[in-house]
Amino acid sequence: MTGALRRLVAPLSLVAAAAGLGVLAFAPGHAGATAGVATGATATASPPAALPGSLLAANATRTHSSSNLQLGQTLFQESCSSCHGTDAQGSALAPNLRGLGAATVDLWVSSGWMPLANPAAQPVVKPDRFTRAQTVAIADWVGSLAGGMAIPHPNLAGASVSEGMSVFALNCAPCHTITGAGDALSNGITAPSLHSETATMINEAVRTGPGNMPRFGPGTLSQKQVLDVVAYVRRYIQHPTSGGNDLGGIGPVAEGFIGLFVGVGLCVLAAFWIGDRTPRDLDEHAHGSDVPHGPGTTEHA
Amino acid sequence: MSTSAAGERSNPADKAYRWVDDRLAISRGGRHLLNKIFPDHWSFMLGEIALYSFIVLLLTGIFLTLYFVPSETTVIYHGAYKPIDGQRISEAYASTLNLSFAVRAGLLMRQMHHWAANIFVGSIVVHLLRVFFTGGFRKPREINWIIGANLLILAIFNGFLGYSLPDDLVSGTGIRIAFSILESVPFVGSQLAFLLFGGNFPGTAIIPRFFIIHVLILPLVILGLLGAHLGMLIRHKHTQFRQAHAREDNVVGTPLWPTFAMKTGGFFFLTTAVTVLLGALVQINPIWQYGQYYPYKVSYAVQPDWYMGFLDGALRVMPAWELHLPGHMIPNVFFPAILLPGITFTLLMLYPFIEAKLTGDVAEHHLLDRPRDRPVRTAFGVATFAFYFVLFGASATDVLANYLSLTLNFVLWAFRIMAIVVPFIVFAVTYKLCKELQQTPSAGKRQQFNLILRSADGGYTTVPAEQYPGYDQPELAPVDVEKVELTADAAQQDGDEGVYEIPRRYR
Repeated sequence: MTGALRRLVAPLSLVAAAAGLGVLAFAPGHAGATAGVATGATATASPPAALPGSLLAANATRTHSSSNLQLGQTLFQESCSSCHGTDAQGSALAPNLRGLGAATVDLWVSSGWMPLANPAAQPVVKPDRFTRAQTVAIADWVGSLAGGMAIPHPNLAGASVSEGMSVFALNCAPCHTITGAGDALSNGITAPSLHSETATMINEAVRTGPGNMPRFGPGTLSQKQVLDVVAYVRRYIQHPTSGGNDLGGIGPVAEGFIGLFVGVGLCVLAAFWIGDRTPRDLDEHAHGSDVPHGPGTTEHA
Repeated sequence: MSTSAAGERSNPADKAYRWVDDRLAISRGGRHLLNKIFPDHWSFMLGEIALYSFIVLLLTGIFLTLYFVPSETTVIYHGAYKPIDGQRISEAYASTLNLSFAVRAGLLMRQMHHWAANIFVGSIVVHLLRVFFTGGFRKPREINWIIGANLLILAIFNGFLGYSLPDDLVSGTGIRIAFSILESVPFVGSQLAFLLFGGNFPGTAIIPRFFIIHVLILPLVILGLLGAHLGMLIRHKHTQFRQAHAREDNVVGTPLWPTFAMKTGGFFFLTTAVTVLLGALVQINPIWQYGQYYPYKVSYAVQPDWYMGFLDGALRVMPAWELHLPGHMIPNVFFPAILLPGITFTLLMLYPFIEAKLTGDVAEHHLLDRPRDRPVRTAFGVATFAFYFVLFGASATDVLANYLSLTLNFVLWAFRIMAIVVPFIVFAVTYKLCKELQQTPSAGKRQQFNLILRSADGGYTTVPAEQYPGYDQPELAPVDVEKVELTADAAQQDGDEGVYEIPRRYR
């Protein structure tokens, strides 16, 4: 019990101190006000949305490397440490991040998957709460703790989309579908759509294997093949070209829907327009009639 | 036409017509055909959608055969589509790519062809439903019903064959499934599959074979059956709804020439316009994204075209049961993919005879039923349709799970339960609705608006209002056929939108 208490209290005090220091360092003008808010925020493990605006604005302008690491540490301890621990060592709630590398952290944060409500379930995409610089700072700080894959900067200049398509069809299409539209796998797991991922995210996902996705290490796909497949996804999967509206790339399901309801539907409407709508005056002896005919059939005094 | 005055003989078209008529005597039969009476109701035009989309299929299909190479010979592609540049692909796939990217209007033609196929099968189903629910299949039209059902089967088969021709990743997966389905036929499955494929899957014979069946054999059979279908339509004359002057022994409507010819000609252009619009604006089967089919490559979320959907759905919802006979195992695939469609289409073709047997009604019927007046048939039909519609929906389990954020397993089980439960619910609801509608004679009729007038002394009088305010065209009165010679000129003289009745004689 005391151990648990100590585990809880120690990081909290560390977070509070670090947060206060960070705020003092980056935003001296607002130090007094923001430090108090920030401490309160970490102590109750609020989501990062509770971060004061002035802190975010001040941090975004920082570019220097060591300051960036400091910024990353601050942001991590603000937003991530309540589950992952102050030094990214993990907790009962969330895994140890040390040694996973900056690329993994960058992918999970920039995709909007974090924070996870349930680490075992399919991540729900939430709006991105950090600027690109802040995400990179967090990822670099975690990467600086125990190494791992750095954030890649895929240079697609010499990439071959033809090679990329082959790699995609063999390795990616079995889950993400050949059009990259994504689809539901079994037991609530989903292969997400690739239609809006950045080159960096695709590269990171291939190399680090987030969630249920296999990790394609250098022994499986060469760096050239990764760049090829990134180029193919960026240039073709994300920009389907010919033939008009692609209906989300989900193939015959959408096509059948359009064919039946628009194609056949429009033709049936045309028939309805050309043809006669209702049979003329059904024979009264055949079906009877409750409609009064002729003038003055009913009269009320 | 033949009724032109002698003074107009100098007209070259007229002279040419006379020349032909003197030798072939086409006027008499032609007059008969041009005088064919078409009832006016819009639901009689649903089959025409199929007819006209079939014409679009023939025309675009001829264009496509000029460029498509039905061969599985491997070539190295160096064409307009960069992601396939340098890959080893079959000539069939390469020529489809060239058709899409290098041939002028090729992609439009391909997409029109594919959309027209979707509309073709869809309109056949809609037409079939109309004939079923109005009892149009009864004596003397049972043979035509069977021909129609066979046209539906052939349309589905030919659609599948055409979808398979480009040799792309998605259709190749479909052919793989078709091979396995054939193999599942008890006792002779392997032999059947090897016979059709010219050896084991995938082989190199299947694309050329499918091509010949798709562009030559089945279109000819379909054309022949279509001719028979329409021939019997002329022989029997149209059915008609119960309405003023309509009896079992006559047909009320407008003659083919000129009224109906104008309507149906316009309808042809409208149907074509829909396929052109879809072909130009909506992508269908982007084979360039799929890549060449190789047995070791597979894409998730592969569905067939919608008309095969009920089979795909049946395969998905079928539990993993196998039948172990002594010395022989009947695989799971056999039940949803062979037995189900076998039973389906057999029952479909036998339905007129089953109903006649059950009701004891073996009389001739030319007047159609309103669906509500046959509640059991209607409820049975809607319930059966609902069953296949659930199976059809089950072919999209993965897409539905993805878009509705449900688990795939839940969606699958939902469809399994719905396939059994929904038909019963639908039967009960439809039956009850029919019974209710029977009690509401005004349902579905043109509304008769009444004016309630108050007189000076306070009395109220109800007077029927103008039927469509502002629409001054009077109700067209039928003209007795004995009094009017049904020729083009006579029809025009008599007011060109006349409604006619002619006696029904086909024996």
